[in-house]
Amino acid sequence: MPSKRQLTVAAGYVAAAAAYIAIGVAYTDFLFSFFVALAYLLVVAWLVPAAVRRVL
Amino acid sequence: MSWAAHDLEPYAIQRHSRVKIAFVPLLLGSYSPDMMSKWFVYGIHIGGFKLKAADPVTFHRGWPGLGFTHSLLYGVVIAFIFWRVFGSKTWAVSFLIGQWAHAITDTGDTVGTMLFFPWTIHIHFGAWAYAGQTGRLTDAAAYFSGPGALWDLVWIVYGIFSWRVLTRSYFEHHVFTADRFWGSASRIFPVTALLVLYRAAFFYGTSRWIAWSLWAHAIHHYPYDLTWGGPHWVNAAHSESLSWPEVAGVCAIVAAGVAVVAAWRLGFVRRGWAAARAKT
Repeated sequence: MPSKRQLTVAAGYVAAAAAYIAIGVAYTDFLFSFFVALAYLLVVAWLVPAAVRRVL
Repeated sequence: MSWAAHDLEPYAIQRHSRVKIAFVPLLLGSYSPDMMSKWFVYGIHIGGFKLKAADPVTFHRGWPGLGFTHSLLYGVVIAFIFWRVFGSKTWAVSFLIGQWAHAITDTGDTVGTMLFFPWTIHIHFGAWAYAGQTGRLTDAAAYFSGPGALWDLVWIVYGIFSWRVLTRSYFEHHVFTADRFWGSASRIFPVTALLVLYRAAFFYGTSRWIAWSLWAHAIHHYPYDLTWGGPHWVNAAHSESLSWPEVAGVCAIVAAGVAVVAAWRLGFVRRGWAAARAKT
């Protein structure tokens, strides 16, 4: 079974996916490129959390 | 054509491969057949001009066109370049496996691929409709309404059951150590960022499967048709059925390939090469 920490990380990715899906359904151009998804994921799963940690 | 399968297959291959695999060239191989052609199949607008292939199906999968990118030989040639130019056998083998996975997966639709190019027959199982020539939105609606969507779902479910390949410890112990790329990249980026990079294709494949399914069925109400070759409401492109001599030729090539692999595993070929090298 996944650990609590792994589930927390997975929950973060699910939240990021929910936002990505909502944007993609509204603007389908968003869904066509892997590189757009990669840039989005780097921002929401690495840069933003890193910036928040630095501020806190 | 397949959509999310090309994003997700590399994770399953990574998990089950018995040879040393590097993830980046594996993914690159999985994406490579469509990299040069997909934009021209759907058409793009640059300024006031629209650039689109006059015959998108032939351009994408046929000859003359870029259909050779979906052949086994193309994978071998690019893998050979990786090996000789970059000096990495791991990158060569990984690219080859990824590209072959793509080429074989795309035989599932109604057009199929010229798997044995320069022999230009199309190997196709016709399980789901090829509708690239109808434009990208209709193509998406058709793909996510037919058996192709189920095919992608298999990979998503399999990926979720294999969740350990997405963990940090798996990345650090199996993926990072298999390829010098990650070590070089870690001098610039933290491991957390590289982990995001590793997970990105799984995120992309799964998320867009859900997004396109919602778009096609909750927003636009396209009908599902999960019958073989569906959905039949779209004007799908088809390749001609193979003649019996062509089927016999394909069987002969496959049998020869299986025989070579079997001989390799039994050591005949390796011993033969070693003896030849010793003589020179």
